[in-house]
Amino acid sequence: MSQQGTWADDVVENQPLITTNEDGTKTVITYRINEKGQKIKVTQIVKEIIVKESVNKEVAKRKQWAKFGEEKNAAPGPDYRTTQVGEEVHLRLGTAWKTAEKEAEEKKAEESMLSANTRAITCRYCKGQHFSSKCPFKDSLASLEPDPMDESSEAGAAALASPSAPGKYVPRHLRNGGISASGESSRERDDSSTLKIANLNEMVDEDMLRNQLLYPFGPLVRVNVVRNRETGRSRGLAFAQFASESSAQRALDALDGKGFHSLILQVGWSKPKKPQQQ
Amino acid sequence: MRPIMLKGHERSLTQVKYNKEGDLIFTVAKDKIASVWYSYNGERVGTYNGHQGTIWSIDVDSKSEFCLTGSADFSMKLWEVSTGRCLFTFDQDTSVRRVEFDPYDNRILAVTDKVMGFPGSIITYKINRDSPTQQDTTPLLKIDTKEGFEKVSVAGFSYLGKYIVAGHQDGTISKYDATTGALIGSVKAHEGLITDIQFSEDKTYFIISSKDKSASIYDVDNLKQLKRFEADAPMNSAAITPVKEFVVLGGGQEARDVTTTAANQGKFEARFYHKIFEDEIGRVKGHFGPLNYIAVHPSGSSYASGGEDGYVRVHTFEKSYYDFKYDVEVTAEAKAHAGEQ
Repeated sequence: MSQQGTWADDVVENQPLITTNEDGTKTVITYRINEKGQKIKVTQIVKEIIVKESVNKEVAKRKQWAKFGEEKNAAPGPDYRTTQVGEEVHLRLGTAWKTAEKEAEEKKAEESMLSANTRAITCRYCKGQHFSSKCPFKDSLASLEPDPMDESSEAGAAALASPSAPGKYVPRHLRNGGISASGESSRERDDSSTLKIANLNEMVDEDMLRNQLLYPFGPLVRVNVVRNRETGRSRGLAFAQFASESSAQRALDALDGKGFHSLILQVGWSKPKKPQQQ
Repeated sequence: MRPIMLKGHERSLTQVKYNKEGDLIFTVAKDKIASVWYSYNGERVGTYNGHQGTIWSIDVDSKSEFCLTGSADFSMKLWEVSTGRCLFTFDQDTSVRRVEFDPYDNRILAVTDKVMGFPGSIITYKINRDSPTQQDTTPLLKIDTKEGFEKVSVAGFSYLGKYIVAGHQDGTISKYDATTGALIGSVKAHEGLITDIQFSEDKTYFIISSKDKSASIYDVDNLKQLKRFEADAPMNSAAITPVKEFVVLGGGQEARDVTTTAANQGKFEARFYHKIFEDEIGRVKGHFGPLNYIAVHPSGSSYASGGEDGYVRVHTFEKSYYDFKYDVEVTAEAKAHAGEQ
């Protein structure tokens, strides 16, 4: 259409044709072009209703007030800093509101108790909802069952076999066959050969530790100095992991209580040693 | 219903009030500013800055032209509501615990504290509405606490501004002639401090709340107890609702005792009682401290509560609130309806 005439033609053509009917309604006829280029006639019958809302004059006037005091120059409309919408609260009116509320609460408590019961307590022998020790078939079934300690590792193994079994949470320490020692775990590293070196001079960095202090004792896996997250300054503490525990032990014996860059080192295991380390 | 929470004060609220049309809410707290809000959307219109201490009380005249604040800085200030300008300061000997306009906006009333050797008084002044910055500081009336009475905690004007009714620390209420100041009568209404007094729409009766865990309605003329509402915690405020025959009580365990008990034991709820049957018919939770003041919209469509927690919560009633009726009410209405036909 725009190829044929000016935009003015367009406007004139798009003017709706309004006719007033006898019953008070109006018929509005408009034309428009759809995507296919076809001209479409739209006929609407409209009834106009005037809704009057009465507002107190004073109240209307007050709505136009300029803000003042601490709200001076603030944008119109509520400020989220001072005005928030709270959580839904209920007002249930009734003479027996107390008993009704109490009942609802009791029901809720009962339900949660019930669900907790079903989840938590399962008999190891007969799979009933009671403690294993209270099982009536304990004596007859106990001999058929393997040792409970073995069972837990078996359960772990089962979980490994079907790791994507839905709906059942398997604790992390049971996921790798339930026998994963701390060494195997990807998350938890082996700290058995790691030394904690405290009371370091602030100027000492990783390279200095490697090249000046720890190199005689054997190959190092990693060395890192604990630093302040923001400032990057050393906090006078470092961890050094040796390739073997024996070299770590030698370093510990040699360095604890010795001076390094004008401070007396305190060297110890990064974790307290268990008496029977494997 | 979803309440609108107004967080304009840094300290606990002391009083919350609607103006006559109910489109504005005035709030004062223990910080030094008073605030005014639009009640329909919770927008803060402005603040009244100038006091040096806790503001204990606020009142607005019926034209929403002037408002009055009473503060612990030993003064009472008159403000222009629309601009926040302080028009006049009335200096007092002690802190001002309660202020109120009379029904004709011509007089104001102040309750001053009994401290530092001052007896504590109810003082009224004439308000010059034509040139509000020039006020006469000579009181019309100064009613000192009389012999045998404890100090006055709250007071208000009755119908036509004819009497002044005061609540005392020991639970007594007393009535004075508002022009001569003569004591007309007194009655021991409660066992504890009267914390609030709010009049009915026509100011012929009033509700008082007390620290003795109850509230009651008295009539002005005879000082006779009409109704009594028992609660399970000290009450700080009580209000009468228009439209429905209810009263709303607010309070809860005192702030200084809160840390010694579990939170759910605090009873920080607004309680609705039926005004006639005296039964508790519902509660609204929300505040996490005692409620210090409750105000009901003059058209009965909402209520606002100010708490020790620094929040004002504005609740708009839902349809179920208007629909609630006692069985006897329903049957009475049905009978009346049948009689018409």
